[in-house]
Parts: sequence; C-alpha cells; structure tokens
Amino acid sequence: MIIRHFARLGALAAAVSAFAPGAQADTFTLWARADSSTFMPKLVDAFNASQSGHKAELQIVPTNELVQKYAVAAAGGTAPDALSLDLIYTPSFAASGQLQDITDLAKSLPYFDQLSKAHLSVGTYGDRIYGLPFSADSSVLVWNKTLFREAGLDPDKGPTTWAEIRADAEKVDALGNGVDGFYFSGNCGGCNIFTFTPLIWASGGDIFNADGTEATIDTPQMRDALAFYQGMVKDGLVPAGSQTDTGSNFFAAFATGKIGISPSGAFAIGALNEQFPDLEYGVTFLPGKDGGSSSFAGGDNFVVSNGTDKMEAIKAFLDYAYSPEGQTLLARNGSLPVRADVAKEALAGLDERYLIAAEAMANGKTPYSVVFNDLINSANGPWISMLNKAFFGDEASIGPAVEEGQAAMQSIIDTAG
Amino acid sequence: MSAITGQALAARPAVSSRRSRRRRRDLAGLLYVAPALALVLVFFVLPLGTTVWMSLHNWPLLGLPRWIGLANYKALWNDKAFWRALGFTSYYTLFATIGLLGTGLALALFAQGTGRAVALYRTAFFLPVVIGFASASLLWAWLANVDSGLFPALFEALGLTSGRVNILATFDPAFWSVTVMVVWKMAGFYMVILMSGLQSIPADYTEAARIDGASALQRFRHITLPLIRRPFALALVLCVSGSMLAFDQFYIILAGGPQNQTVTAVYWIFNTSFVSFRLGYGAALSMVLLVILVALSVVQMWLLRDKEEAR
Repeated sequence: MIIRHFARLGALAAAVSAFAPGAQADTFTLWARADSSTFMPKLVDAFNASQSGHKAELQIVPTNELVQKYAVAAAGGTAPDALSLDLIYTPSFAASGQLQDITDLAKSLPYFDQLSKAHLSVGTYGDRIYGLPFSADSSVLVWNKTLFREAGLDPDKGPTTWAEIRADAEKVDALGNGVDGFYFSGNCGGCNIFTFTPLIWASGGDIFNADGTEATIDTPQMRDALAFYQGMVKDGLVPAGSQTDTGSNFFAAFATGKIGISPSGAFAIGALNEQFPDLEYGVTFLPGKDGGSSSFAGGDNFVVSNGTDKMEAIKAFLDYAYSPEGQTLLARNGSLPVRADVAKEALAGLDERYLIAAEAMANGKTPYSVVFNDLINSANGPWISMLNKAFFGDEASIGPAVEEGQAAMQSIIDTAG
Repeated sequence: MSAITGQALAARPAVSSRRSRRRRRDLAGLLYVAPALALVLVFFVLPLGTTVWMSLHNWPLLGLPRWIGLANYKALWNDKAFWRALGFTSYYTLFATIGLLGTGLALALFAQGTGRAVALYRTAFFLPVVIGFASASLLWAWLANVDSGLFPALFEALGLTSGRVNILATFDPAFWSVTVMVVWKMAGFYMVILMSGLQSIPADYTEAARIDGASALQRFRHITLPLIRRPFALALVLCVSGSMLAFDQFYIILAGGPQNQTVTAVYWIFNTSFVSFRLGYGAALSMVLLVILVALSVVQMWLLRDKEEAR
C-alpha cells in the first residue's frame, strides 16, 4: 500500500518535472496585512490559477500585529517564506538580519528600472536590495465639490498653494451649519507623516537625511507648515475633535460631507466611491507653500525571509504580480500600480482621480529610517508630540516644539545606531 | 502495585510504619496541590524567570538577543520618561484609590441593609464591574468626544463651558474624566469587599454604643472602622496595585495624551517593548515595577496589620 503510494508520488513528480523542466513545484507561504485584504486574496488566487508549477499560500494578519507575529514566528523558525510588509519597516527588518538579500533577483527583472523608486529607496539597506515594490498608496488632497459650489468657489479647481487652501477653507467654513473648512487628524503620527510631510517636501524641506542618520526637522519649511496649520486651527476652520484624533477620523471626517478640504490618500478614492457614492469630491496634489507638489509614497514592499528555499516560486509570483495582468488586478482592487511602464494600461477605464494619485505616487518620497516606528508611528513619539504641541499651541510654541522634537528624534536615532 | 506496597509496609515494625504513613500522607497532600503548583510554576515562576533572564539582555523583537548584564538597569536609572511615567502613575493611584475606596465605602454603607430595593441597588452598583476595561474605555471615549459625544454637548447646554470644549485636550479635564470612569467602573467591586466586613459586625455592638449615647459618627469611627480593618486592607492592596498597573483606560481614551502627560508606567513598558521593540529593556522596567509593587504592598500590610495578631 505504502509502496504503491510512493510509486504514484514518484510518477506524479516525474510528470510535473516533465511539464516544468528545471523548476520545482512548490508551495510558498505568504503573509500580508489586513489592509491589503481586498487585493491580496484575488492576486494569489489568480496566480495559482494562472499556472500549475507553483502555489502561493496566503495568510492575512491583523495590521497592528504583523510585526510582532512575524517576529515570534521568525524566532520559532516558522516565519513565512515571503511577506508583504509596510514599506517603512523594510530598513529595520533588513537591519535585524531577518531578510534575504534579493538584489540578484531584482536586477534580473527586465523592467527593474520601471519599478517604484520610492519603494526601492526604502527597500535598500547597505547597498543591497531586500524589498521590492508590491502595493502602493500615495497621499493626495481631496476637496468637497458640493461645498465648494455652495461657497461660490469653482468646484472643479482644487487649491494649488497653501494660501489657496486657506482661502478656500475659509469660504467653505463660512457656510456654517456644522460645516468646517479643513480637517486633519491632529494627534496621529502615521496620518501626518503621510499627509503633512509632503507639504514640507514640496516646499524644499525634509525630515531626515538620505540614510536616516540625522533628523532634519528644524527647518524654516517645517516652521512655516506648522504655522499654516496652526493658523487654520486658531481661526476655527478645523473641528475641535482634531486635537485628540489619533487617526480614527482620518477618513471618516471627510466622508461625512461636512468638511471642505482634507489631506488624504489614494485609498480614500476606492473607499469613498464604494461607501459614499453620493459624495462629490475632487483629488489633487498636496502643494508646497508657493506651488509645486509632493506625496508620501506608501504601500508595501515584498520581502523574503532569510533562508527560504522557495525562491523559484517566489520569483514566479513576483513576475505574475508585475505583469500587466497582475498590475491591473491590483489597480482594480485598491492599490496603485507599482510598475510605471504598465501603469496606464492597468488604470485604463478606472475613475480618473486614480490617475492623479498614480502621478502623485510617481513623484512621491518615502522617508528612510530604521527606527521609523519609534520616531513617527508611536502615539507618544517625538514626531506627533511636536506636531500636536505646535498645531494647537500659539505662535511662540512653534520654536520650542520644533527644537524639542529635533533633539528627541536625534537622540532616538543615536541610541539605536 | 499499591497492594504490594501496602503489604510490604505492613510487614515493617510499627515506628517505621507510622513514619512512612506520615510520609505517604505528605505525598498525597503534595499530589493534591500538584495541579495548583504546576499552574503557579508554568504561569508565574517560569514567566518571571524568563523576564529576569530577558532583562539581562539586549533583546530586540527581531534578531538575536545579546547578553549585556546589568546595562538595562543602569540605563533605566537615567530614563527620565520612565520616572515621569511612574510619577504620573503614583499621582493617578493616589486619586483613584481615594475615589474608589471612598465611593466603595459610601456605597457599602448605603447598600448593606436587607430588602428588595437594596438588592437592586447592589446589583446596579456592581454591574459596571463586569464590563471589561477596554469596552468601558471605548464607551467613555465616545461619551467624551467633542464632535459627537454626550459630555461636551451636555456641559455646553448646562452652561458649564462656553461653547463646545474638547475635554480630552487638556490635562485636568482629561485626567478627571478617566479617573471618574474608573471610579464608576470599579467602585462596586470595593463595595462588595467592604460590605462583607460591615455585615460581619455583630448588631449588638452598635446597639450597645447607641444605648450609651454614641453618635452615628462616633459609632462609625470607633466601632465600624476598626472592625473592617481586614477587608479594608485587602481592598487597599488590591486598589493600589491595580491602579499602579493602569494601562487600558489611558491607552484607549487618551493615547497617553495630551502631550504624553498621561503615560503610565505599564504604558511606557508597553511602548518600549512593542513600539520600540526593545523587549529586554521592557523586561528590566517590568522588574523595577514589580519590586516597587511588592514594597508598596508590604508597607500597606504592615500599616494595617492586626495589633492583636502581631503581639
């Protein structure tokens, strides 16, 4: 009986290897965060159906637990073969020695130079590539067209400078009746790195140096941007709840239809269209002080656990994900394309506002730091402490807040290094 | 097997038989407490040992731990954020304990009698205790929300504040709204503990005192208070150690804000371990907190010890 079983297995193996010479049929395990639960299962199913040589096995992990779960699994020797990881974590994962160097695989892709530069910049650690672009989300500015029309503004023209944002927000705010001009989550570090830093980038400033060894937040651009938000708060253009919003209203506030302008992300386009089809809104770039624009290039990097022996299958999966077919599937299910030369094709026929988000993505930046979580995402970290103090303080509070933030960030970077 | 042992034992001289019988009884006793011992070992001693072990390492969440001896403990000596968090925790513990035990005692005095209405009150006072801290905190976070919650609108309508005020945005109102929530949620628990003490006081004592002309206040001060010392000590120790370990309510309602002024000690340990991924350092902080808690509990027990028992 057992012998027969083995014999059959042997025959099967022979048959498979006959179909796919040189390649082994294997199943690799893949983890992704819950944020990507719309497109990931579809992509994996499509990949598994597209060929029979390889198989991807997907596990969705709650977003906030992904790092811890992965760490525990890695310590126990049961890490997944590959992981779709929030791209800002790539440097710290690579630094800890958990990831496989995939430089050769990356460079062997014929369309390598078409892949999202921002993703690759954080996917690189010590000149080696550890993460490849996988899914993308850029930050943009959204405005409510209905409220613009009511306020006597051109509903089809979004603001292009800080002064215009301010002027438009004032007009919308004057409508009264519970309508506010502007909204941002004033106590959420993650939201503000996504939507507030682009204002600084577009004005010529930055928050870290290129390799993340120095915090450079004490700049005139930072002080100007803080004063810009502070002014709107002081004049009552922003709802009072913003001061203590740790991110729960990041999307919801604008969706109520009572907010004129709000910085948001590409993810909001799909969510608004689906959940609030009656809301008329426009999408534009996050502007610099006197024009220009920038965006936070967010999303996931695809990383491979150290010591996996499923590289063949992983490469096949990446090839599929980067194909026009894969990119189209992503684009239709909530992620922007990450491969520039097929982006147009992938986005064809979709809501035009996606094109703006995709363009923002192409010009986007991602800050590089091995201690990103500590500095930026922590609800009690120096980034959000500084912002919250300055946004909701008085003019004199901006200087000390920035200096304190700069010192605190630098000390965390130095301790880790 | 046991029959053979029994026979073998019976064959021995009487003295040794008695001794072995006692040993057997001891063994049987050990067998009975073994499950409890195993539980303590697996769920208390082992984790504690692991924590001590981890605290002597640089133990990142990802990557390999490295032995660094007492360096974590030296570093925490200069960790201003930790000591500030500990300071805030003590501040909170002080007010939470006064609020909880005061309210608990008042409720216990009120609800100690018999009767259907009293039973109803008791149930009502105790009900919030069975809600989890997380759900209670979420409920409170919504009630205190400036745009959609009840309190800011209520305060405005009552004329207590001019306009809608975000009560979670400044320290004092934020701190008190959390403390009031904790008192609302936990006072019923301390009421039950203190009530058990009140009910064990024989009615004769108060009756006799009343006949002798003692006022209600005198009876409370000289009869009730001394006689509920033991349940009171229990309530105090539980309350202080519980408050020193406060985390959920500040994490969920305030996220440590405004301006990180409500970061408690446990919150800081959580941040160190799961935001900064420094598990070793977090373990060292936990050990320090444990030592402080044990010391506090010992002091309280000693202060409230029974004088007769001590003699």
